[in-house]
Amino acid sequence: MTSIKSPSTKSPINEELERSTSHSRRLRRRDALLGIATPIVLLICWQAASSTNLIDAKIFTPPSTIFTTAITLIHNGVLTHDLAITSLRLIVGFVLGGALGIIVGIFLGIFRTLRAAFSPLFAALYAVPQIAVLPLLLVIFGIGETPKILTVAAVSFFVLEINAMAGVRSIDPQLLEAGRAYGAKGRRLFWHVLVPGSLPAIFTGLRVAAALALVVVTATEFVAANSGLGYLVWNSWQLFEPNEMYVGLITIALVGVVLTGIVELVGRRIMPWSGRNTRD
Amino acid sequence: MDMPSAQRSLRLKIQSVPEVPTLETIISVSVVARMLPNLAERTDAVTGEDQDWLVRANRITKVFTTNGQGVLALEAVDLVLERGSFTSLIGPSGCGKSTLLRIIGGIETPSQGSIAQQASPRIAFVFQDHALFPWLTVRDNVAFGLKMAGVETKERYRRSQLWIERVGLAGFERAFPDALSGGMRQRLSIARAFVTEPDILLMDEPMGALDEQTRMLIQEDLIRLWEETRKTVLLVTHSIDEAILLGDRVAIMSRRPGRIKAILDVELERPRSLHTMADPRFVALKDTIIGDLHDEVMASMEFR
Repeated sequence: MTSIKSPSTKSPINEELERSTSHSRRLRRRDALLGIATPIVLLICWQAASSTNLIDAKIFTPPSTIFTTAITLIHNGVLTHDLAITSLRLIVGFVLGGALGIIVGIFLGIFRTLRAAFSPLFAALYAVPQIAVLPLLLVIFGIGETPKILTVAAVSFFVLEINAMAGVRSIDPQLLEAGRAYGAKGRRLFWHVLVPGSLPAIFTGLRVAAALALVVVTATEFVAANSGLGYLVWNSWQLFEPNEMYVGLITIALVGVVLTGIVELVGRRIMPWSGRNTRD
Repeated sequence: MDMPSAQRSLRLKIQSVPEVPTLETIISVSVVARMLPNLAERTDAVTGEDQDWLVRANRITKVFTTNGQGVLALEAVDLVLERGSFTSLIGPSGCGKSTLLRIIGGIETPSQGSIAQQASPRIAFVFQDHALFPWLTVRDNVAFGLKMAGVETKERYRRSQLWIERVGLAGFERAFPDALSGGMRQRLSIARAFVTEPDILLMDEPMGALDEQTRMLIQEDLIRLWEETRKTVLLVTHSIDEAILLGDRVAIMSRRPGRIKAILDVELERPRSLHTMADPRFVALKDTIIGDLHDEVMASMEFR
């Protein structure tokens, strides 16, 4: 066999490329492993400490017990039901409030008159913690889904209104000029320059709003609900069931991770231009 | 489009307090910018004595107001752009040369004076820091002007592709501007302007932010592209070499308030190349311009 492409004829460039990619791949794999290993080690320590009574197992329930509690709660439908109702409140409020906030924010960013009229009002209203308005909403709407969803919607609205407005205002004036110079006026300038230009700020707003919305939905469920993950945590405090509390807390954390993950994913899909070059 | 006379003079409104157009005015008011009105419309219905000129700036004065203070940026500037000519505009930093270009292009309004145009020329810009849209790929950045002019997708990508190749960006069609080097971005910006087949190309220090090597490459590209297309060009630059190398004539501006101090013809035959810079006539002209600029320039000027 005459070997035309024997390994020895490999070009130095290809050789070096292979070496560097395999090196960076190795590093990435190691980083991922470390990221998973740390919490696992901590969980093992926790398990060991509570089962040897180094820490109070009644308060710091060992992970194994939390796990079995979670299984039980899933089997009897409590956890799934609470998860579903919390997700519903969260998503409906987040989407409604967020969408309205984006629209209002963009228009406030564009029109000075609107901005002068509404921006100070919104800034003052945003300063009131949305959760503090919940009692008022309860008076108006009674104990139903509406006040809880509205509270989530309110926080999402304000965060996005502020971010979308800032996004429009921070678009490089050169880009507006270039857009105009190449014939984008009125509606076309809006869709082809203003909207894409403010997207990065809008997505920053969405990430912040997602986190705050989760805080707000949990808090409303503490005081004004008899369902949902917030209720599960609050109720298990009143019944002194720390293991159920842990299950509730972990589930809330997971909801947060999933929600921000979705925002992140959608962001990367819609804005393929941003963040591509910041990969390390 | 009916025109009362062969040449239509566009009188710009005189504003007492000129300011950078706000988003509001851009969106709600249809601004005086009239780039790419209609690609089908040609503009050579010109007869009579003034055949040659395309744009004429008459007694342009510009006052900027900042913090309640008025600064006279341009004072009664006259400038004529002849069809198919390449005019370099040079002057000390802050003399208002960019402002003049922007007024000629219609993206800024003069405080006094007017811009007269033959019909409605299509105008394209190459901006100093390229002003590319970061959310559009190379291909879509080039195609942007055509898209706004309503050219259908297939046709606009076909025409864009020609220019992407002409400026040496083939293979980068799907890249975003952030992934390109400074020189590539400026090439892209040049392609974006040329693809719209403008009657007038306005370039505002297009190579200001580039290193020497890249600058030379792009200068060569521009010489070639211009010699092929013979657009009417106004180039604002602070490089004397660049002004002479590319221009048919060099207009020299004074310090602020900016006035046209002199206009010198560049008597160098084409095609030109970077070697033209070694021509004795080039050196002599450069020397004259340095002399002209000397008292205007002082330390702020870069001699390249």
